[in-house]
Amino acid sequence: MPGLIGFYSFGEGRENWNASHFIHYGLSALQGRGQESVSLATIGQGNTLRTLAGRGGVEQFFQKNRTSIPKGFIGIGQTSSYLDDYLVHVKAPYEMVLALDGKTDLHENRGEATKLFARQLSQLLHSERESLKATSMLINKIGGGYSFVALTHKQELITGRNPLGVKPLETGSVGFDIGAVASETCALDVMGIDHTGPVETGEVIMFTPEDIRGNTPSTDAGNFCSYEYVFLARLDSQVNSLPVAKVRSSIGRELAKTHSVKADVVIGVPETALPIANGYSQESGLPQELGFMRTGENIRAALEPTQKERLVGVQLKLNPIKSAVEGKDVVLVDDSVVRGNTLRNTVLNLKRNGAQRIHVRIGSPALVSPCPYGVEIPPRDELISGSLSEKELASNVGADSISFMTVEELQHAIGLPRQNLCMRCFENGVTTR
Amino acid sequence: MRVMGVGGGAREHALAWKLSLSDQKPEIFWIAENRNPGIHKICKDNQGDLRIGRTTDPKTIVRSARGWGIDIVVVGPEEPGFHGIPDALEKEGIQCIGASQELSVMERSKADLRRLQWENNLPGKLLFRTFKNAQEASDHIRKNIDTQPWLQNIVIKPARQSGGKGVKLIEDRQIYLHDEKERFKEAYFDSLQASMAAYSDIEDKILVEEKAWGPEYSLQCFTDGKTVLGTPLVQDNKSAHDFDSGPETGGMGSISGPDMILPFITREEYDKSLKIVEGIVEAIQKKTGKAYHGMVGGQMMLTENEGPTVIEMYSRLGDPEAINMLAMLKTDIVDVFQAIVERQLSKLKLEFTNEDAVVVKVVAPSGYPEKREKAKGHPVQVFETNIKRNGCYLFWGSADLQEDQQVVTGGSRLLALMAMDHTLPPASARIEKTVSSVQLTDGWGLYHRSDIGTERLLAKRRDAAERVRRLYKHREEHGMLGSRMEWVPKLGKIDTSQQLLKEMHGPERPI
Repeated sequence: MPGLIGFYSFGEGRENWNASHFIHYGLSALQGRGQESVSLATIGQGNTLRTLAGRGGVEQFFQKNRTSIPKGFIGIGQTSSYLDDYLVHVKAPYEMVLALDGKTDLHENRGEATKLFARQLSQLLHSERESLKATSMLINKIGGGYSFVALTHKQELITGRNPLGVKPLETGSVGFDIGAVASETCALDVMGIDHTGPVETGEVIMFTPEDIRGNTPSTDAGNFCSYEYVFLARLDSQVNSLPVAKVRSSIGRELAKTHSVKADVVIGVPETALPIANGYSQESGLPQELGFMRTGENIRAALEPTQKERLVGVQLKLNPIKSAVEGKDVVLVDDSVVRGNTLRNTVLNLKRNGAQRIHVRIGSPALVSPCPYGVEIPPRDELISGSLSEKELASNVGADSISFMTVEELQHAIGLPRQNLCMRCFENGVTTR
Repeated sequence: MRVMGVGGGAREHALAWKLSLSDQKPEIFWIAENRNPGIHKICKDNQGDLRIGRTTDPKTIVRSARGWGIDIVVVGPEEPGFHGIPDALEKEGIQCIGASQELSVMERSKADLRRLQWENNLPGKLLFRTFKNAQEASDHIRKNIDTQPWLQNIVIKPARQSGGKGVKLIEDRQIYLHDEKERFKEAYFDSLQASMAAYSDIEDKILVEEKAWGPEYSLQCFTDGKTVLGTPLVQDNKSAHDFDSGPETGGMGSISGPDMILPFITREEYDKSLKIVEGIVEAIQKKTGKAYHGMVGGQMMLTENEGPTVIEMYSRLGDPEAINMLAMLKTDIVDVFQAIVERQLSKLKLEFTNEDAVVVKVVAPSGYPEKREKAKGHPVQVFETNIKRNGCYLFWGSADLQEDQQVVTGGSRLLALMAMDHTLPPASARIEKTVSSVQLTDGWGLYHRSDIGTERLLAKRRDAAERVRRLYKHREEHGMLGSRMEWVPKLGKIDTSQQLLKEMHGPERPI
């Protein structure tokens, strides 16, 4: 899953801005969405698109390439959790680069589908006089769930979100000089750019040297990804105008109400589940303790691409704090369970450190289906909840009990109407309940 | 009675419109640099004439006023004031509504305005510093940025109005972006220096002010030099595009009402703002020895350090803010003008509607404000009956009625649409419904801001106002309003405000 940034400068003196510099820090803030592949493109005087791409993380990428970072006062960037997933550069008929989060339905393979989308956009920009209208029609025609940002050789920055609105995209600005878009508001904050609101579902915004234009967004309220709230988005972001921290805390409260259990202490699995554990603690009255310390950089274990790296990630980030659990009954709160290996390691580790009973509470329904819009949820046969019942799962990971939220409970905790939430990864299969 | 207007924008069209509604039925004459179709029609319908001429040339204006036998001249834009049009008219014994050249310095020179405020220790001011050249500005900031924290977040302006040079807002808050911000800042200093080189009459070229944040609003007033009468607050929107993004424009639309205050400003803040404007009018008259008769406007902002604060002063009505005010004005405009020239404003009962809110939205051609040449010369088509049917009013701005009766764009803000309703959102919706009645027949694009007057933007303004209000009220309660006390490692407590006051106002009269 990629994180996207678009940076546009206006007005006198804009040639003095270095878009790459802003994109660098914006992408750093989006690394939670993926850090395997980093790419960016800029344009400045002379109307030449300059691109750079390579393996991540973001910091290593910018360090390694510091002498060849492209210059220009307009730019876009992408950091992705997929290996070798870079901006698509279409040279003809209308030269442009494109970054896309999500997946169009033009091809089964996500990368191919993105390339086909980019080619169609390039074709339209070449042949149609009203590019805004044409792009708007394109995103209404091409299905799937996606947000994108594109940069053309004519200093146009085109960004949009298809009417389904699964993938987040937010806008920002600074004074009269800078306009920006980013997958998450935290990236705008880090770039020192004021958040101005979400890109609406079905909305296209076009920044050109002459003006900024937008189409009329779709009247459809959208079908927002619920996994963004559970796990994907950063805690300090707002997604579709809802603060992620607030949603995670209310997920914890909901869990405590509907899946309560007798215990001594609540422990959250870092980092995503800490605010969920906090909500659980506040609602249940059980004290929350810090149960783990992290070694090294923040690595989001679930997003590491290979099994080996994932195991290393778990060890580094989850060294138990013995005194927090020794002799106690523990409510262990996590955001979701994918293959089950993180959870198994965690439970065993806590028990080895003296925890008595461990009751696992998951702040989302069981993951049972892969994501049609490009979030790396593995195929069904690799999802532990796709194969095991809750009881089997508990004994498999060594816990005394495990329970997931229901789809209805999650919807209630997020606080959006059911029809405006995408929960496809929690449904479609045989549920384990 | 014969009245003559000067200027050819939407503000002047609104003035002409209001004059045409007067019970005194004045004959209406005008001088503008473009054949504004709206003013053209009003002059024709009111036994007058619109003449095309240089509005900054005293000779042209005086000759026309004398030729037409004009009783009162009303000056719309700032440039004629900067060029001494009111002075020239008065020398000829012709009454004029408009700030004289010396008084208009409050708008012409942003540095002089700040000096006036600090020398007189008036409320509602911002820290500032002026520089002779780019080098001096860069050196000063590099040297003092750590010991004078206000220099980290600044607004850079030309020290006096200069060929379309805008303001730059630089917040240097992220250390990892510091080099970036410094480079941008210093390049802009260089560019200001180059553009200001032409003015040899002033020493200071560059003005740096502390950057403040908060909701902005305009308080426009009538004054005869003795009395300052406030009109309803108006909020203009300077960014070109929705949600306050995009380049700085002259103003893309404005809101006012349904009363004297805005939904996010309190009565107390209104009164304070009026006091601030009165103070400036008094101080500038004292300094210049001239009497002010005309319009004066405070571009205000609620700030955390000061509460109501002056961002800039206008020596005239705002454009488009004038449209809001004139739409709400119930008193006969000719009575107002007469009271000003007779210095009888204290006896005038100035009344405004308290039932209607007003939304004004500007329609501009693509290319404005950055590529005006491209935005110029496109043929305009307007479906006036549609506009009327939706209860909207049209005020022409940068438009030119050609000999073949075709209206073409002038490259700046084309026109303003105005609607009134009990509250702002329905008035805004009415304009949205009718905005497609304005088109360019050659396919060139037009744009406007759909968000002005909507509940969503109002909520944003309310939120900003409440946040900043909490901060300045807290300071007020603790006797800290106006103070800029900071603790700097190794230096201890410093109050930049007191330091500046000492420098400008003299040490013998502390606050």
